[in-house]
Amino acid sequence: MSSVTYDQLRTLYRTLLVFATVGVVILAVGLVEFAYFERPGEGSGVKAHIVGVYQFDPDTRQPVGPDRSEFHRTEEFAAVVDWSSIPSNMIVDARWYNSFGSIEGQVGPAAPTELADKSVIPVEVPSGLHYVLPGRYTFVVERLEDGVPVEVLGRRFVVVERS
Amino acid sequence: MITSTTPPAADPRSRLRPARYGIALALAALVIVALIVSSILNYVFLDTIPGRTSLYGLLAVALITLGTFILVRTFNRDRAMRRKHLIRAGVLIGLGVLLWLLVIDVFLFTQSAGPGVAAICALACLPTTAFGLFVVRRMDRNHKEPWRLVLVAAAWGAIVATSLVVWGETIWEQSAQHALVPGPGLDTSLAFMAGILEELAKGLAVLMLFLIMRNEFDDVVDGIVYGAAVGLGFNFLESISYMTNLYSVFSAEGAGWVAAGIQWYGRQVLGLFFGHATYTAFIGAGVGIARQLPSVRQKVMAIVAGFIIAIAGHFAWDAWATIFPIQNTLFGLVEIHLRTLIMTGPFTAGVIALLIFGIRYEGQNLLDQMRKEAATASGAILPDEVPILASPWQRLRQRLQALSRQGLPGYFRVSRLQTAQLDLAMERWHRERKEIDTPLEAEQQLRDRVMQLRHWIAA
Repeated sequence: MSSVTYDQLRTLYRTLLVFATVGVVILAVGLVEFAYFERPGEGSGVKAHIVGVYQFDPDTRQPVGPDRSEFHRTEEFAAVVDWSSIPSNMIVDARWYNSFGSIEGQVGPAAPTELADKSVIPVEVPSGLHYVLPGRYTFVVERLEDGVPVEVLGRRFVVVERS
Repeated sequence: MITSTTPPAADPRSRLRPARYGIALALAALVIVALIVSSILNYVFLDTIPGRTSLYGLLAVALITLGTFILVRTFNRDRAMRRKHLIRAGVLIGLGVLLWLLVIDVFLFTQSAGPGVAAICALACLPTTAFGLFVVRRMDRNHKEPWRLVLVAAAWGAIVATSLVVWGETIWEQSAQHALVPGPGLDTSLAFMAGILEELAKGLAVLMLFLIMRNEFDDVVDGIVYGAAVGLGFNFLESISYMTNLYSVFSAEGAGWVAAGIQWYGRQVLGLFFGHATYTAFIGAGVGIARQLPSVRQKVMAIVAGFIIAIAGHFAWDAWATIFPIQNTLFGLVEIHLRTLIMTGPFTAGVIALLIFGIRYEGQNLLDQMRKEAATASGAILPDEVPILASPWQRLRQRLQALSRQGLPGYFRVSRLQTAQLDLAMERWHRERKEIDTPLEAEQQLRDRVMQLRHWIAA
């Protein structure tokens, strides 16, 4: 093997290793980001009581019918939370996420006692659309620290059918 | 025992080849076991549509895996056996593809948007993906890869790799959604999921090609070509999946085709070379560089490095693309393009840098070997032909001259001669570097083939 050839190959190899080092840095930053938002040792042991998910009457702004996990896309629906199940010294909120990860309805953040009159949390129809988008919706009650959600106290999944 | 191949590819007494095939078989076995375990777990614990698809699709994946394995090995066999193995491979792949299409259509696309929409989406993605494969293959200016292997690479990316990740990602996603806080933490986890699982699944295809078809896997340039082809295949099927899903989500609002069209543009035009093709090209580059490195430690380092860059590039896009806000105005269109350029552009530039350097490195060494071959006065490569063979433009000019003199047959004859001469130079290069496991007779047979083609042209 000529020295010129080996030098060229070595240059390629070293360039690849330099790129890989950048890759390791990117992945390390990703891990730090993950650890920041999923802080270890944050489990409080508290469980929020989600009473259920119901069809929502927009006129009376009250839930109707039985607790369900599937809805038609023309139906509006809302989760009902028993805020008294959470200690009053916590800062909490409740959110609906659609299947794209966008927030489609929220109350809080505030202390549970301040949210007592907001126990019904409906899903909002995105602006410009007639109905909610089909897909899998996630409802969460979260505990916050310094404005960052650090723990899920309660969670429900709901499927909105396409047709 | 292989006694007569054209050109003879494998040394029947080689100690390298059986070991490589052993690794390839072990990898294939691992893939199959992973598929079976994950699909059964998926079906038992999730019982969702993808769960059923994974279970019923197992047979299709097994047929395609076996068929492609037989196909790529077929060309290493002698002519008498080749036809028989080609038919075997064709039947297996055909059955696998049909079964797979049936499963996908019935359980996935039909479920979300219907087979008609799925077919239209597939037809829309075909020309762009074909263009991508054409460009990727043309990038290897000195020694183009055979279409059959480029297509096999793309098929692996489209069918086997996507099947692998559907199951892995379903399990990861379901677990993360049940355990993590929605928002950036969950998004980061899902970005790690996509980066790790999808790049491992695609990289496995590149690695298998390297292990089974090392004679067609020469260096970093070949690695980039095969890697990008796997990525394009994966991107093809992922595009169809996203297009049909978004069509079904937005069709009731009357915006189904708009949503599918935006996905098509983003994945098949804007992201054709920037996304999966770039990431998997890095894996190919790592494997291609490893192909020529002398020590096992360096080989492993190069392959691992390729995987790390691919995973990091993919992760960065999935995790941080949303950092760039896209306004809901006309300027948003510019922002979409800028986002792709800024987020994936540096990675694509890195691949292009490796490619350009690899082409130069390969070109200089082929030139060196052509000069040495010309100096032997064997007649396979003449001294006057060396500068022509060394330049892609001069080779094209020579073919065009043949076209004007003798029409298309003349063009193809000269093309075959040039390819055979470059094959010979490549064979000499690998032999000089002691990185080849074909017998010396293979080189002489390549020389004989060049002489035969030369006589044809003279006649």
